Parts: sequence; C-alpha cells; structure tokens
Amino acid sequence: MFKWKKLGRVFNPQDIKNVDWLNEFAQAPSVLIFDKFVRVYFSCRPRPDTNGQYVSYTGYVDLNRSNLFEIVNIAKQPILPLGGKGTFDEFGIYPTSVIRNDDEVLAYYAGWTRCESVPFNVAIGMAKSKNDGKTFEKPGSGPVLSYSLNEPFILSGPKIRKFNNQWYLYYIAGRKWIPNNGRPEPVYKIRMAISNDGINWTKKDRDLIESKVEADEAQASPDVFFYNNKYHMFFCYRYSLNFRGKEGGYRIGYASSDDLVNWERNDSKVGIDISDEGWDSEMIAYPHVFELDGKVYMFYLGNQVGRYGFGLAELEDYKQ
Amino acid sequence: MKWKKLGKIFDPTEHKLPNDCEEFAQSPQALVFDDFVRIYFSTRQKDKNGKFLSHVAFVDFDKDFKNIQKISSQPVIDLGKLGCYDEHGIFPFNVVRNNDKILGYISGWTRRVSVSIETSIGVSVSSNNGNAFKRVGDGPILTSSLDEPFLVGDPFVAVFNGIYYMWYIYGTKWIQENEKDTPERIYKIGYATSKDGISWQKQNIKLIDNRLNANECQALPSVIYHQEKYHMMFCYREACDFRKNSRNAYRIGYAYSKDLINWVRDDENIGIELSKNDWDSEMMCYPQIFHCNDKVYLLYNGNKFGRYGFGLAVLEE
Repeated sequence: MFKWKKLGRVFNPQDIKNVDWLNEFAQAPSVLIFDKFVRVYFSCRPRPDTNGQYVSYTGYVDLNRSNLFEIVNIAKQPILPLGGKGTFDEFGIYPTSVIRNDDEVLAYYAGWTRCESVPFNVAIGMAKSKNDGKTFEKPGSGPVLSYSLNEPFILSGPKIRKFNNQWYLYYIAGRKWIPNNGRPEPVYKIRMAISNDGINWTKKDRDLIESKVEADEAQASPDVFFYNNKYHMFFCYRYSLNFRGKEGGYRIGYASSDDLVNWERNDSKVGIDISDEGWDSEMIAYPHVFELDGKVYMFYLGNQVGRYGFGLAELEDYKQ
Repeated sequence: MKWKKLGKIFDPTEHKLPNDCEEFAQSPQALVFDDFVRIYFSTRQKDKNGKFLSHVAFVDFDKDFKNIQKISSQPVIDLGKLGCYDEHGIFPFNVVRNNDKILGYISGWTRRVSVSIETSIGVSVSSNNGNAFKRVGDGPILTSSLDEPFLVGDPFVAVFNGIYYMWYIYGTKWIQENEKDTPERIYKIGYATSKDGISWQKQNIKLIDNRLNANECQALPSVIYHQEKYHMMFCYREACDFRKNSRNAYRIGYAYSKDLINWVRDDENIGIELSKNDWDSEMMCYPQIFHCNDKVYLLYNGNKFGRYGFGLAVLEE
C-alpha cells in the first residue's frame, strides 16, 4: 500500500511566453538526475496548424535538486528534430524516456506519423546524446521497435530501464481501432521487450496488465521502478471512448512483480487519486516515479493530459 | 539467357473479377498443381472516394497456358482491418508451398498523409489448396527498422537447403524536388532469413548494385535455382517521371549468385527486352520466374504497370 502526498504543480507550460515550440502541454515527464539539478524531460506542442493539427516536441526543464519547485533552466530548443519525409517520427516525438549509459544519455521515444483512415500511427525510436542530454542524435532514420504480428499498430509510451545488466523496454501496443462513427479511437495495452544492447529487442508478445474498467481499457505510461525488494509499476488507464473528461478519463493504476515479467495488478494500493478541485481534479495520468536523496517522488499529469503541465507527489508511506 | 516471348496471356478487362475489380492484373505469381497452374495477381477496385484498393485474385490455366480453366469468384483474402498495414491493398501476394499448407505473403498498403503510402509484409495461410487465405495475425512480420525506415514490401519467399529466404524491398528516402511536387520514393532490394517462415531476421546488406544511378528504384525480386546457380529477376526504374515516360519506366533486371549472399548484376545477359509495338513496348515489370513442365517460365507485366494484364515467356537457353 502506497500513500502519496501531493505537493502541487511544478511546471505549467502556459507560464512560458514567446517560445514557439513550447506553447502548451508538458506531457509524460521523465527525469535525469544531476549533482545540482533534476532534468525533467516532457513533450510539448507549438500552436496547431491551420487544420487544427498538432506536432509534438520533447524538451526539458531543470529543477533545483534541493527544491524541485524552483526552475533553474529551460531547454533552448527541442532535444531532437522531427523525422524526415515519410519517416515514423515526422509529426511528433512524444513520449520520451531517458537513461544514462556510460558517457551517453539514451532517449527512447514514440514517433508519430499521420494516416488517412485513422488519424495517426506510432512507433518507437531511439536517439543518443553526448552532451548530458541537451541534444540527441538518431543512429538511423527508422524505429527500433516497430509493428509485428500481434502488435499491428501504435507502439508508444516507451519506458527504458536497465536491471541486472539487461535492458527492458515497457511500452504500449495498439490492439484495435474502434470506428466510433468516423472518429476512430485506439485501444492499447501494456507490453514489454528485452534486449542485450538496447538496439535489438525481443518482444515478450503478451499483455502484462489485466484490464479493469472494460475489455477495451486503454493503458499507458508503464513506469517501472525497484523499491524495497520488489518491482513496482505505476501506469495510467482510461475508458476507450468518452475519455476526455472526468468520467472516462485517466487514472493511475498499480501493479507489482518479482521478476519484471509477471505482474499483479492491484489498483487499491496505488494511494493517489484525482483532487476535489484544481489542475488535477478531472484526471491524473503518465506517472513517473523516482528516488532522490532518500525520498520517493512521482511526477504526473493532470487535466487534459498535461495541457497545463505536471505536478509532484511525495511518497509518505509504504507497506507491502 | 535467351527468352522466347509467348505474348500476353491474361487481360483482366475480358473477365469478371471478384470485388467489382475491372482493371489491373499486377505481379502475376504462379503456383503449379498437377494438372493446372494457378496464377495469383493483384487487381483493383475503386473505393467511394475514387481511390484504388488492390485485391488478390487468381486464374487457373492448363499447363500449356493456352486455356483458362477458372477464375476466382470470391476474394482470395480480405483486406486488413481499420488502421492495419494492409487496409488499403495487397500487392503483390506471394505464395509458397509449405508441407500440406500454402503460405501467402502479403505486401500490404496503407495510406498516409505527408506521403501517399506505407507498406509492410505480413503472412497468411491456406488450408484449401490456395483458394482462400487467413492471416496469422493482424500485424506484419517484416516492417520498418532502424536502417530500413519505411516501405518494406514486395516479398518473395523460397526455401533453399531447409532455410526460408525472403527477398523484399525497403524504402531509403522520399524525394521531392519542389515543395509542391508529389513525393516520390526510392527503394532497394534486401533479404531476410527464417527457420519457420513466420519469424524473420533481416540481413541488412546491400544486395544488388545500381545500374542507372543512386536513386534507381529496384522492385519485385524473384529467385530460382537453375543449372547450379541462383538467378534473380527484378524490375528497376528511374525515381521520377517513370509513369508516362518510357525511357524512365520499369525494365527487367537480372543478377546471379552461387551462395545467395553475393549477387552479380548482369543485365546485359538477361535475354529479354521491350517489344517494338506490342503490349510490352513501354515498360516491363513485376517479373516472376518459376519451373513448370521441366521448363523455366517468366511471368511479367507490360505497359501501364499491368493495367491490361500479364504475359509469359519461356527460357530457351
């Protein structure tokens, strides 16, 4: 059983003025810890184009390590340009998950392209940084994790981890598109892959987390961390349709595992829910949990899936 | 090599086809039975917006290729589901015998916004002698990867020495001279291997030298073993202005290999070329080579990418 104490919103992109690529949204926070600051990557959007369509970029803010509510620096540019004509990441880079690897920082991200019969498709790419995560370069123009027999579309929401010298990628895979009277909505489920080198991945090819609210429940942000001799996964889930408001919108779920592969869902232990009022009163989504200086924190998104930024919660109590 | 042309053997506009398809019989692919030869091809239906959907059909010929016994009356395989890689067409469809079943490899098409299309390769199985096929899964078995970023398609599968080989094509770039031009694609031939025909390992090597220039588009590889060598026929063209300008249009290319890894391109010795005034006077494309009646045959499309059918040639030397 976890018990989280909400500390409030840390970053609202609408407070930033005159940065074209960072106009609104700060989605899917992921941290990289430095000596004096904590770099929080997130995905954001310029104004929509004349057709009302968005692209996403990934940037970061640096927070004072001893006061996570103090912003000490903001990225001057997106960490990675969008992909070239016809590539998987031509129209968006969201979400991004980062990890240190020797002198480099690796970013695994979901790249977005636009389709005709459904609005988009997504595959997972990888990029490397040699300047402490300020900017990244791709080793190739294609994805590192793409579609397969039982994962036909929408490979997204990557979370990169390394445990016991093995690379783990937790992600989501599309299951079906619900036609929804000409406005198709996707159903996706949490899955995983394993790798020895971070480039070549072997998919486990099965769902990790049992669905709860309905068979077509959409699951996202499978954030895994090791704590007190157990692996914990915080993720978010919602209804497949009518999910843009409070009723069907995202909530944070919880599962635990001893082996990183077999997971037992138990949302009653999650210890965090929507607030009665304020920026996270309709939904909470895209959790990212990390340890810092003897404490455990969770970054998460609030209403409209991060349109108004992300907030912080601190673990107050944990009993197995 | 020296080929003798036997002429156009099938014109889709002369027959009733499933799915209200009227034109196109592209990428003919033969499956030889005891007393007939089944030739699968991709034909086209117009959807409600006037855009094409490619469907798979077949025609059964007598083994002398003179009489048609039957044309498929039902779709051989349905198109893919909403949002899947093969929602908007299957072209080509490559069939391979595998013990008591027949595997059907799908080159699936889906429509994009910034570029016209994306493709991936899937697999299906027939348990009724190739009359109908069912997908193994909704997704592809070979698709985009780090160094093959898009347009994985045109599978051709053969089993040699107990190993499944797939030759296919992958896109290298979309080019656009001016912002207003329609983007055109460049693709090259690659290959992958497998132990079961389902799970594939890409080999990621450059297989066939360019003949025209770096932007040469190479498509539809087809491989047979004959007289102690492996022979590949494929088609190639210029990247732009290839639809109406015969000089830039598809030609059939040729390469040979002794080890299935190193290929020598040898178009000079292909032994077949455009006709002067016939159905294949502007382009030749989508070749398939196969054994039948102790001979080697070549199926291919001619002008207009097979809009009016396919023809046949037989190897003389």
